[in-house]
Amino acid sequence: MFEAALEGLVGVLQPEAFMFMCLGVGIGSLVGFLPGIGGPSTLALMLPFVMTMKDPLLVIALLVGLDAVGNTASAFTSILISVPGSTGSQATILDGHPMAKNGEGARALSASFVASLLGGIFGALVLFASLPVLRPLVLSFSSPEFFILTLWGVSMVGILSGNAPIKGLLGGILGVLISTVGLDAKSGIERFSFNVAYFWEGIDLVLVALGIFAIPEVIDLAGRKGAIAKAEEFGRGYVQGIKDVFIHWWLLIRTSIIGVWVGFLPGLGSSVADWFAYAHAVQTEKNRENFGKGDVRGVIASEGSNNAKEGGDYIPTLAFGIPGGTSSALVLTAFIAVGIKPGPDMLTSQLNLTFAVIWTLVIANIIATAICMIFAKPIAKICFMPFYAIVPPVVAFVFIGAFAANFHTYDLTALMIFSSLGFFMRRYGWPRAPLVLGMVLGDKMELYLWLSYTRYGLEWLARPMVIVLILLLIASIVYPILTARKRNVETSLSEA
Amino acid sequence: MSRAKEQMFFTAFIGLVIFAALFVATDWPVRASIIILLLGSIGVVLALIQLRLDFKAARAEGAKILRPTFEVQAIEHQGRWGSLEIWAWLWGLFFAIHLIGFLVALPLFVFLYVKLYGGNWLTAVLLTAVTWGFLYGVYDNLLSVPWPKPWIGFLS
Repeated sequence: MFEAALEGLVGVLQPEAFMFMCLGVGIGSLVGFLPGIGGPSTLALMLPFVMTMKDPLLVIALLVGLDAVGNTASAFTSILISVPGSTGSQATILDGHPMAKNGEGARALSASFVASLLGGIFGALVLFASLPVLRPLVLSFSSPEFFILTLWGVSMVGILSGNAPIKGLLGGILGVLISTVGLDAKSGIERFSFNVAYFWEGIDLVLVALGIFAIPEVIDLAGRKGAIAKAEEFGRGYVQGIKDVFIHWWLLIRTSIIGVWVGFLPGLGSSVADWFAYAHAVQTEKNRENFGKGDVRGVIASEGSNNAKEGGDYIPTLAFGIPGGTSSALVLTAFIAVGIKPGPDMLTSQLNLTFAVIWTLVIANIIATAICMIFAKPIAKICFMPFYAIVPPVVAFVFIGAFAANFHTYDLTALMIFSSLGFFMRRYGWPRAPLVLGMVLGDKMELYLWLSYTRYGLEWLARPMVIVLILLLIASIVYPILTARKRNVETSLSEA
Repeated sequence: MSRAKEQMFFTAFIGLVIFAALFVATDWPVRASIIILLLGSIGVVLALIQLRLDFKAARAEGAKILRPTFEVQAIEHQGRWGSLEIWAWLWGLFFAIHLIGFLVALPLFVFLYVKLYGGNWLTAVLLTAVTWGFLYGVYDNLLSVPWPKPWIGFLS
């Protein structure tokens, strides 16, 4: 294990890999402080480029570096203009922006950067510590257990990632169905191809991800015109903010644990982690009267958890090949495209790559924090770029990225179709993450189901671990639905 | 049409797509249809349940039910045209790419968008140049991307 850790470190510190990591951190930070362009959209934009790369280490350095730091720089806009740069920094606004209004913007920013750094490192350490536990567990699984796990992953994301569990489940099912389009390798049957050769290879995930995430965000961004907020002053207390994090170290550790746990559970993204952590801080800390009025503990709780979440996110992604959320689903797609095989191999023959991910999480967080701390003032000015300077280049990159999927004009038609689907899903409150996850896991799910059926007939349903997983699956589907129903009944009764 | 009714139509559309997939897959051998039959049938049932919920919501219009949401809410676009404005730009770009090709359409789109929404000349020219440089430098020269032939041929 030590050799693999060292190999992973040496790998990511090679000049080329390190350069790609810096590029990823730069892009991740840029999208972090540009409101409206989220991490999933950027990862979707990067996919066509990284899929042409040969070296898995470079892909890890670039994508994990990008994914790890999106929430660090997003604190700029949350604190200074009360607009979250990413979904993971929404709770930061509650205390960060009042601090900026009180002339303590610098204190809030430095506290958020240091909390993000330490939270990110904490998440990477938990990922590292989980490896010895996961190894025997993963190696004892075979196709039936993996089938139920993939099913569980899609169901959990469906149920937890949106406001309506049934819509989430339907989105996941639709994603799996989309993944079946094309020539079936097992039977040679053309599935949903309508005699059009373009469909034989299936529908590219890049097109779906760009359409579902990037275009709806561009549409929102275009709709923000005229709504660009006035910036608060940079303020004072830069050094005090750093000290604050160490003064409230126990809060940081607790909220980082929340972040890791949220990341580990498929379906709960950083937008949940920061709210859970903030709620925990408000419930458990003494002298709560300042929360919401500019209490630095609110910033530390939110920012520590959203970066710690990334480490937790990679635990199921690497060990089981089941992504914890949209970003890790897209990273997973790129990993598979360049020959990285998530699952047992990541804990045995490809352990050095797992360590490369852990090291990238640590180093990327350090670089991002250093950039944000050193260049805080000039970066703060870039946050206020008008929408017309962001929308057209992003749209241009989306169209190029879509065309690069297959170099076919039908790619653009597919992009427009999935953009419309993404737009309507967002408009009517359908969570979009399950659809992408269903697409990512669809192939595997089908393969594991078929292998289970051909190897064991229906006997695989009686395997002890399968029964345990099925019970967990049923509980995780039924419990949130019943809770939501009970809450709705209570709401109706109280309204009546 | 009210938002609740629109929502109902959207759910019905998704349900129909899943039902159609299930129907088509019944003609295939089990090895090609196993996952579609398994999840498709669950999907049809779920779509019917969701449709019933949407129907109830449409009938009880005005009574707002609050549920926790972790998905960032879409912005309600202001003004007469709402989000149709940006959709018009996107479809315009889509047809322009077919008509005059990537290499002309994308820089032109960037320039026009920046200028028409109040950007200054420097921003417009700079962003157009960056887009053009990226297209020519990275895609055309470095990657030798096979651009589709535009309908207006002489621009290719």
